[in-house]
Amino acid sequence: MNPKYRRLFIIILIVFTIALATQLVLIALRDNIIYFFTPNELKIKYGDNENIKRKIRVGGLVLENSVVKNNDIVNFTITDNKNEILVVFNGQLPDLFREGQGIVAEGNFKDNKLIATQVLAKHDENYMPPEVADALKKNGAWKGDKDK
Amino acid sequence: MIPEIGHIFLILAFVSSIMQITYWTYNTKNLNLLALDILKNGVLINCLFILISFSILTYSFVVSDFSLLIVSNNSHSLKPMLYKISGTWGNHEGSLLLWVLILSSFTFWVSKKKQINNNLLFSILGVQTLILCLFLAFILFTSNPFERVETIALEGRGLNPLLQDPGLAFHPPMLYIGYVGLSVSFSFAVGALITGKINKEWAQQIRPWISISWSALTLGIALGSWWAYYELGWGGWWFWDPVENASFMPWLIATALLHSIRILEKRLIFVNWCILLSILGFSFSLLGTFIVRSGLLTSVHSFATDPSRGVFILIIMIISIGGPLILYALKSSIFKEPKVQFNLLSKESALLINNLFFTTATATVLIGTLYPLFLDALSGAKISIGPAYYNATFAPIMTPIILLMAIAPFLNWGKGKSKNLLKIIALLTLTSLIAAFSLSTINGSSIFAIICGTLSFWLFVGVISDFFVKIKETKLKITKMGSIFLYISKIGIGMNVAHLGVAIFLAGITGEQFFKTEFSGRKNIGDTFYIEDKLLEFKNFQTLKGPNYQSEMATFTLYQNNKFIGYLKPEKRFYPTEQSQTTEAAILTGFWGDTYVVLGDGDNQSGWSIRAYFNPLVSWIWSGAFFMALGGLLSFFEHKNITKKNIRLT
Repeated sequence: MNPKYRRLFIIILIVFTIALATQLVLIALRDNIIYFFTPNELKIKYGDNENIKRKIRVGGLVLENSVVKNNDIVNFTITDNKNEILVVFNGQLPDLFREGQGIVAEGNFKDNKLIATQVLAKHDENYMPPEVADALKKNGAWKGDKDK
Repeated sequence: MIPEIGHIFLILAFVSSIMQITYWTYNTKNLNLLALDILKNGVLINCLFILISFSILTYSFVVSDFSLLIVSNNSHSLKPMLYKISGTWGNHEGSLLLWVLILSSFTFWVSKKKQINNNLLFSILGVQTLILCLFLAFILFTSNPFERVETIALEGRGLNPLLQDPGLAFHPPMLYIGYVGLSVSFSFAVGALITGKINKEWAQQIRPWISISWSALTLGIALGSWWAYYELGWGGWWFWDPVENASFMPWLIATALLHSIRILEKRLIFVNWCILLSILGFSFSLLGTFIVRSGLLTSVHSFATDPSRGVFILIIMIISIGGPLILYALKSSIFKEPKVQFNLLSKESALLINNLFFTTATATVLIGTLYPLFLDALSGAKISIGPAYYNATFAPIMTPIILLMAIAPFLNWGKGKSKNLLKIIALLTLTSLIAAFSLSTINGSSIFAIICGTLSFWLFVGVISDFFVKIKETKLKITKMGSIFLYISKIGIGMNVAHLGVAIFLAGITGEQFFKTEFSGRKNIGDTFYIEDKLLEFKNFQTLKGPNYQSEMATFTLYQNNKFIGYLKPEKRFYPTEQSQTTEAAILTGFWGDTYVVLGDGDNQSGWSIRAYFNPLVSWIWSGAFFMALGGLLSFFEHKNITKKNIRLT
């Protein structure tokens, strides 16, 4: 291939690949983004009786005395001190899950409950998921940084 | 007193690096051998100073000197020795000190290379020292590891128990060797821009550095993933977590560079592209280091941060990435490439496509990693991007690369006709069709499982055939077993081994992703349950005391076909110092798969909640990565032999 055609070939290849990749990225972003809400934001945005089709994440503090374990199914309430949401989770809770701890639950919102597929508590006892910290700061429930 | 000595040596290294940079800028125009020698000695001095400083910090951790802030925050006198030592880099300040130690060692290593042209070497050492200087400033002004506390605690707070693990003790050093190794190829590129000269020797000399850092990165990433698999207790091994991505992006760029540098070495074309990739590779390393360190993205790895660090980080990034990119824009046009012609079906085209796909793949990962940040900054919406995004973008882009990977070794350079090509494609297609068919007959198989498994098989056949073709082409008769190794070292099989690693890795993914079986339920002592064809019996439950934790341990006996296979002992550990709990999964690794058992809550009345998995071929994932790293290392040594031979000839 002489250099002129080579350049043409390279350009076509690059344009094609980038177009393809952009398409893939756009589709993937449309379908696979998971939005994060605090219980209050969720109530404001979707009211009480709406089912949200896509997966969401809800973050906040685990309400004291709200954890009920029934065999492998765990029920607990996440609060941002303004609103609360009941979470139902069937699975192994992370080691750092405890009452009063900031956590994030991911799953489908149905009949006013979050059917969680995953519960995230980060791997540091003093750690607060930043989304939760931000949200709590915003509505004044933040108690300041604990000592680090 | 002793920590202060460490601090002083760190300051001395900083001062000496500033002096060297001044000297370097002053002498760049009229370089003489004396100036080069002075700079070389300076590099040695930096390296020694930092080594002393690092040793003193390690010593403080070993003797548990709690008057140091980071020791009292990250160590404990009862901690096992290995974790006292690894505690040195298990925190922000210490890990940066390790970073500069590796950087200065690499710089010293380069300065010992006699083959490198003097002008180029002078520029390389200058650039390396500049990076070192920036990092030393960052450590000294924002993250001093030798900071004292006013009231000395009697006992430290301990290291995060999750990090007390042999896999993780060596994960950061390995990763850092990879990151920092890429600084050498970066400096080679900047050096070429400064001196304005590039030739085949340049490509030959840069390649081993890329190989070695690529290997280290591969191992580092694999160690991290292995740790996540057995320590986090849900059996996953890769989560597309931002921090994982941060180490994966430099790896992708380094992979692209490792391939494109071959064209440069052979044909002296794509000079600018290689220089750009070298700069990008280290830029992504910096981005990787800082994404983790700045707390910009959150994850297991993020440490507490303060805003002054963020600004400093930004300055370092601008100087060390922006500078070279401007230099590149100004000077890259000086490199004249020879008019080389090549076929559409040639190694050049194949390597070019490889590069195109690898950089595109990097871009998709970059978008997935940074998009949530941008969206947060622009609209305040909080989102997260999970594995689904990457499965939909990264995987399809990688598929053609794997297809190409099996064929590319059979293509010729330039315009030569490839003799075996049609035969090989026929062979690959035929065997892969058989593989696809057999995969489809397995229970629970899906279309993606078939694609993934077939790709693995396709590549495997390609690699093996290439190996035999190579052996045949040497036209040597293998008489003794010992001579096999001689031939192998002659033909160079680093590439084959690395590609074989990819095939093994893909097989591992196929097994783990698509054929996993899971059991969960409540079991009491004496109960039995099946997972696949394996029978597990809950034998007993006991409480134990470890060196710095208390443990609850269950014992399971594993039988297969009524034969005793082994014991599985999952634990729940409680670390009183850190007030935290960890789950230690029990794993019985086999060639065909792992049996993985996790102990949950419970008591002897209602039983314990038990989760068990059978993960087929999962250990192939890390064996694959190991083979890739080994391949990189082999090509590092093969290359050494080749350059030595060349020198002897001339």
